[in-house]
Amino acid sequence: MSSIKEKFNQISPSEFFYRNRDLAGFSNPSRSLYTAVREFVENGLDACDAKGILPDIHLTIKAVDPEKSDPKQYILSVKDNGPGIESKHVPLAFGTVLYGSKFGLKQARGMFGLGATMAILYGQITTNKPVTVKSSTDGKLLHEYEMLLDIQKNKPVILKHKTKEVARQGLSVSIFLEGDYSKAGSKIRDYVYQTSLITPYASITFDDPKGEKFHYPRMINMMPKSPTIIKPHPYGTDVETIRRMVVESQFEIPTIDDAMIEKVRKDLGLSKKSLSFTAIMEKAKKRWKNLSRQVRVVIALMSFLKMDFEKLNKIRIEDIDVPNKKLFYWDFGDSTSKSIEMDSESQYYKQLTNTVQGETLTSFLSKKFQRVGPTTAVKFAEFAGFKPEKRVGTMTNQELAKFSDSLQKFEDFMGPDPSCLAPLGEEPLEKGMKKFFKPDFLTVIQRNASAYSGFPFVVEMGIAYGGEISTRGIKVYRFANRIPLLYDEGSDVVLKVINDIDWSRYKAKGDPPLVIVSHICSTRIPYKTAGKENVADRQEIEKELKLAIQFMARKLSVFMNKRGQVEAAKKRANLYAKYIPLIAQFCTELAGKKKEPNFQKILQEEKPIENEQKN
Amino acid sequence: MSKKTENKIKAASKKALEKQKNILEMLQSHGAKIYEDLDKGQFPKFSIPSRSVSNIVYDKKLRQYILGTSSAVRSSRNTSQLRSFTQLMWLAFFANRLTNEKKSSTLRDIYYSSQAFEIDFEDQSESDNIIVDLEAVTSRPREDFHIFPEERSSIFGDLNIEYTIPGYEGKSMNLSNHPDGYAIGPSLTTAELIDTSAEIVIAIEKGGLFTRFVEEQVDKKFKSIIINTGGQAPRSTRTLLKRLHDEMNLPVIILTDGDVYGEHIAMVIKSGSANAAHLRELTVPDAKWVGVWATDIEKYKLPTIPMTESDIKRCYDLQKDPRYLDGIWKKELEVFLRLKRKAELEAFSKYGLTNITDKYLPQKLELAKSL
Repeated sequence: MSSIKEKFNQISPSEFFYRNRDLAGFSNPSRSLYTAVREFVENGLDACDAKGILPDIHLTIKAVDPEKSDPKQYILSVKDNGPGIESKHVPLAFGTVLYGSKFGLKQARGMFGLGATMAILYGQITTNKPVTVKSSTDGKLLHEYEMLLDIQKNKPVILKHKTKEVARQGLSVSIFLEGDYSKAGSKIRDYVYQTSLITPYASITFDDPKGEKFHYPRMINMMPKSPTIIKPHPYGTDVETIRRMVVESQFEIPTIDDAMIEKVRKDLGLSKKSLSFTAIMEKAKKRWKNLSRQVRVVIALMSFLKMDFEKLNKIRIEDIDVPNKKLFYWDFGDSTSKSIEMDSESQYYKQLTNTVQGETLTSFLSKKFQRVGPTTAVKFAEFAGFKPEKRVGTMTNQELAKFSDSLQKFEDFMGPDPSCLAPLGEEPLEKGMKKFFKPDFLTVIQRNASAYSGFPFVVEMGIAYGGEISTRGIKVYRFANRIPLLYDEGSDVVLKVINDIDWSRYKAKGDPPLVIVSHICSTRIPYKTAGKENVADRQEIEKELKLAIQFMARKLSVFMNKRGQVEAAKKRANLYAKYIPLIAQFCTELAGKKKEPNFQKILQEEKPIENEQKN
Repeated sequence: MSKKTENKIKAASKKALEKQKNILEMLQSHGAKIYEDLDKGQFPKFSIPSRSVSNIVYDKKLRQYILGTSSAVRSSRNTSQLRSFTQLMWLAFFANRLTNEKKSSTLRDIYYSSQAFEIDFEDQSESDNIIVDLEAVTSRPREDFHIFPEERSSIFGDLNIEYTIPGYEGKSMNLSNHPDGYAIGPSLTTAELIDTSAEIVIAIEKGGLFTRFVEEQVDKKFKSIIINTGGQAPRSTRTLLKRLHDEMNLPVIILTDGDVYGEHIAMVIKSGSANAAHLRELTVPDAKWVGVWATDIEKYKLPTIPMTESDIKRCYDLQKDPRYLDGIWKKELEVFLRLKRKAELEAFSKYGLTNITDKYLPQKLELAKSL
């Protein structure tokens, strides 16, 4: 998966977000401080996860002037030991809005890397101070940037850039911002505590503004399996997604510049040699199978132009008119636009057609979507009323809508691929909960992947009982994509399912010292509100949660039964040991005997029961 | 001492010895059964007649409440019964010592004695309850095991008795020698009744009136033995009343306050209580309640006080009792309910301190003959 080259795209200006910062969680000093902490911590964890590094996260919040009363200025710093960001990407990554690398379909804590920039933007608005980013990708050299955001232009303004030698790789971001720790403090501490619970493979340290240090050491030394980036599932798409995918599938006519010509020469093994046009075509025919699409398109163009590399260097392709079989190009030498006829029987003509009109519907479906094979693709074409060989690039808006609509209605697609999800896994969850709660009883379960509306999801849960758990009643820790959901739990689907369970049936009566950890992983969590604190009750998710809880509750009930029996047997044995000798003493005198009866037999008989149940 | 009397005493002490032997044998057989079970490695158990309300029935022939046929098994395996099982075993053990050594104990004494044997009763009512268990299992009153209630009732009148308790065997006493009367305790209850000049026994509910009766020489004037029941008559007193009636052929009349509780005190002497349904031989079916009746309140224009809610409720409760379905018992209850007022024995003082002995008592004694 590391072979996937991260793609950086510039999407939209920061102006819009400046005006709508409430939406991103920066509505007041208390909420903004909390949101900023989350964005930076989650970015750090995501970065480590992506590269399989056991995370070390260090969070510091310091008041600029501790004497002042809240709300006031704070310095928020988050340091990780992740892969860092290449120096040349730092200004764009932290100095523009909507610039991110998380654009594939896989589960990650945040999306698009938008939040971090929003936090920086908020900090700048409220304090007019620059952000400091320190990044080292190799563990040797550290780049330190100090910069501001130009909001109108959505561009970074670099104030300082220096380098120094370091011994560790990683990224550190530090901002000034207006915050209210006296209000946000408990929420931030809860967040750090719960994050360390769901990230047992991370070490998290938090130095708070009051001088308190919260340290959550790493509890396990294994990384959970990383998710892979996967293609979308047909059920999870809409018209706009389809349109974008179609556009992407139509290869642009490559710009034939020096670099491109160099590439073609290299791929044909002709870096040093100059061959005639015919010789080049011969060579290309032999190597065709190993050539990339881009190179093939260039060869196809050359076949019609009948040019060698030298001549090719002096023209620019203007247009390819497939229906009229004409190729237009600009000749730099003559400074005129020229056109040539293309032979529609030529195999190179087909190559160009593919490029311009896009792929056939069936190959588009089986290549661009997960879990769709050629057979299913043909069936679908029939269902949707398209010819299987219909070129997707030639579809009208109406046809695209029909295409997209049919994708939702077709019932023969297989369920979505869960390999893009990253549940924690049963073992890490169990080990983490064990060290966290030190309970008498613990069980965890990871359900098989399921899907709602084409989005795959996995539910994993754990129940801990007794031991060092001191809270009374059921305490629920909710997580979604490894993020703690701290508030608004009343309307959450997890709570709903837990409350629907009759716990006394499972021998957990009264206010049992019970902790339930629930983790829902999905490429898209169906949040109820923009606050992203509660998960909506989708039927499919509810069912999985229910099955998970019932499975664990049954185990709990077995444990409680055993414990109850052991305790009852112990109590019984104690009672017998106290009273039977007395009965023996009294009846001996009553019966006029000298020697007491051998009552030990009864007491012995009672003991094995106790041992048997303990084992 | 006449020859006849001497023979009677001999016969009596022989009877007492036999009774003691029976009790001891019975206790031993119970103990032996428990002993065997334990020795065989089995949890001992025994059965006990059920004393629940549903198992208490009125026996018309015996004219008292008795226990029905249902019984429960009490097992030492059952941990919820283990404690009371042990308590009962201790009580039998303790009763065995008392009987064997001819020593007496009281309900309260039993409660405190238990502590010396690591038998923890939560309070006296728990130990009292276990004593009732022992009575139910053995069908013998606690007095047979030398366990007596605290003494609060007394007796006065010309009656010669002879003690059977250790140290006093053969010693005799006339019960009119001491004007305060004699406490009805273990020694008196077990004493032999020798002879009397009295022709009637008057049981009276209250100590104050008892003293007045002694002062007014009711014993001599009406040739009677006076007994103070001290409210609801204790079992030892009821036993003595029964013996005076059965052994000395004396009629028994009862005088109580003019209220529903007084009426019931008389009824318990006559036909026992539901609490003692497991025991027989505690009743004097021929005893007669002569007053104070509800109708007396009107007839003698006695000063009254209003009945309380609980008095009225008690009236309705008793109306459901089969013994209150006819005769004066039924009639007086109805009058009480109509009047909704009650009168104490002392009410007669309004007409002079001796009015009750001079006027009321003679009339009632006359009336008793016709009841």
